[in-house]
Amino acid sequence: MIILQALVNGIVSGTLLAVPAIGFTAMFAVLRFPNFSVSGVATLGAFAGYLAYGAGLQMAGSLAAAFVVAGIAGLAFDKMAHLPLIKQGALPAAIASIATGLILENVVRLAFGNEPRGYDRPIARDVFIGEIRVSPQQIETMGLALLLMLLVFAALAFTRIGKAMRASADNPELAALKGIRPERIATLASFVGMGLVGVGGMLLGLDSSIDPLTGTRILLSLFAAAVLGGLGSAPGAVLGAFLIGMAEELSVLVVGSQYRAAVGFIAILVVLTLRPRGLLGERAY
Amino acid sequence: MNTIRIGRRTALAGGVAALASPAVVRAQADPIKLATLTPLTGAGGPYGPVMAKAAASVVEEVNKAGGVLGRRIVLVSEDDQTNPEAAVRAARKLIDVDKVSAIMGTWASSVTTAVAPLCWESKTFLCTVSGADSITLLPHQGFLIRTQPNSRLQVTRVGEFILSLGAKKAFTMIPQTPFTQSTFDVLNQVLPKGGCTHQSLIYDDKKTTYRTEVDQALRTSPDVILANGYTPDTVVLLKDLYRAGFKGKILGFAYSINQKLVDQVGQPEVVEGVYTFAPSPAEGSSAFEKAKAASGSANPDPYTCQVYDHINLVLMAIANGKAATGEAIKENIRKATVSGGKQVDNAVDGIKEIMAGGKVDYAGASGPCDFDEKGDILDCKFRYDQIKAGKFTLVKIA
Repeated sequence: MIILQALVNGIVSGTLLAVPAIGFTAMFAVLRFPNFSVSGVATLGAFAGYLAYGAGLQMAGSLAAAFVVAGIAGLAFDKMAHLPLIKQGALPAAIASIATGLILENVVRLAFGNEPRGYDRPIARDVFIGEIRVSPQQIETMGLALLLMLLVFAALAFTRIGKAMRASADNPELAALKGIRPERIATLASFVGMGLVGVGGMLLGLDSSIDPLTGTRILLSLFAAAVLGGLGSAPGAVLGAFLIGMAEELSVLVVGSQYRAAVGFIAILVVLTLRPRGLLGERAY
Repeated sequence: MNTIRIGRRTALAGGVAALASPAVVRAQADPIKLATLTPLTGAGGPYGPVMAKAAASVVEEVNKAGGVLGRRIVLVSEDDQTNPEAAVRAARKLIDVDKVSAIMGTWASSVTTAVAPLCWESKTFLCTVSGADSITLLPHQGFLIRTQPNSRLQVTRVGEFILSLGAKKAFTMIPQTPFTQSTFDVLNQVLPKGGCTHQSLIYDDKKTTYRTEVDQALRTSPDVILANGYTPDTVVLLKDLYRAGFKGKILGFAYSINQKLVDQVGQPEVVEGVYTFAPSPAEGSSAFEKAKAASGSANPDPYTCQVYDHINLVLMAIANGKAATGEAIKENIRKATVSGGKQVDNAVDGIKEIMAGGKVDYAGASGPCDFDEKGDILDCKFRYDQIKAGKFTLVKIA
């Protein structure tokens, strides 16, 4: 029974991880470099949502605030720091993104201090479904995350701009020939991807707490989820997030919680060794 | 803008004059350099800035009164980020670039463990507030003191307190820290003597939820849970314990379960009845009052009081040793608390007495500040509080 409970817990944390993982992988698909500034952007999004929620905005409004602030900040850093370097290759841009992540983290620290903060949401006792314990709040948060994912997938599948994004990710030259302007798609991918990362930061903070290191804590799991599913693949990121979430919770039972970080590293190692394209391949939608 | 022109001849003449003057004259112009290395960011972030401020205030007072050995003191403050790697970089800068003779205020045990070898190898004196037993067991050659009671002493008292709560089954939830193993060892010794079983779990302090860990703990039906992490992870842990419907008693260290945690949890019933435990500063002593003023806080935390003591002790050691080297501080740090000496509660009075040829017995803001040969303090009081309706209420100081 405890294994089942751990799996349920893993699904919950996997769902929350999936939102920023989609953002991360979508940016990789279009911009072709791993943007590690997601750690700082997730933190920024969490704090933007926190301020909006504290100011009286409802959940949807606060999530929108987290999305917009994180999207704008992420886009600005991409334009100013990462994309100018991409001509030199993915590595310089990735390294620059580590630096911008640190900058954002410290900007948040400067503005809010180090103390952890919590969203002013009532903490409710868990409810039992059979013998499985679930938290009403986590169900709500999970529902929000699932709704967001549905919206993203619907946008990618059915809207003109979503199709343009996919086309540009699959073959930028061919897409350009068809009149899709790559820089416009890059701007959109940057904004939406970072927006999702910001929302992810807020969703993760809703049930726990937020501080300047909120994003840094999830960076490894997030990257592992994206690599496991296949960098550049949005459904892959979701699958990867679920698998990483469940593996991390199950690892608590087997080797102890202190080795949780190893789960992410092992996942990256195994995938890069045996199936470098990830479970769902590089560009599957 | 006016510019002062110094010709080659003038510069040469000045340089020759400076070199020709007696060494002591030049030395007097050199300030004494000391440093605080506190966690301005990271998990210890709520404490480090106040600690650094208290030390800076003491230095300001002493400088106003003429300094030590006729020299001004310069206090360099660096951030250890509650992170051993960052702390080592900062310590290297303090030792190699600033050339400080003492570093004060390292907070996390992992930080102190990483920084200590740099200090003893460079003969820089290190004063720490970290609790892990292993720290004073390092081959520090006397270049280290700590004002925090070691974790063995602290955890022994925690164990005794758990027994006094009538516990029969205790469970410890703790992240991986240098004091994790000694915590288990001590509790496994102390608790069974009082008829209480003890089980434990190490968790990852970077997780955003501890539901599975809580499930594992609750499977053993504990009546007391020792939540032994830092503030950010303890917030998550306490929420998850509440959600899981845990009805037993919860106990934690006051460095993590503090007013900030209560405010942050935001819902009093989640933390209702939680006990906290801390080495107690010497509340009511005159040094404690001075630490209040130095830190600008009406209720300075134990670490701030300890850093207040560090800087006072180091400055008096320099006065006693008539030299501002790490070696001199090491040889004289215990001479600031000589029984029978003049009772003082600050370095300004202490230095005055020492320079007049007297002996001093410093009674600090954190306690008596007497150290054994390993660098551990010999005596300290402990304070137990319980959270009631979101407020900390004193249970006892013993």
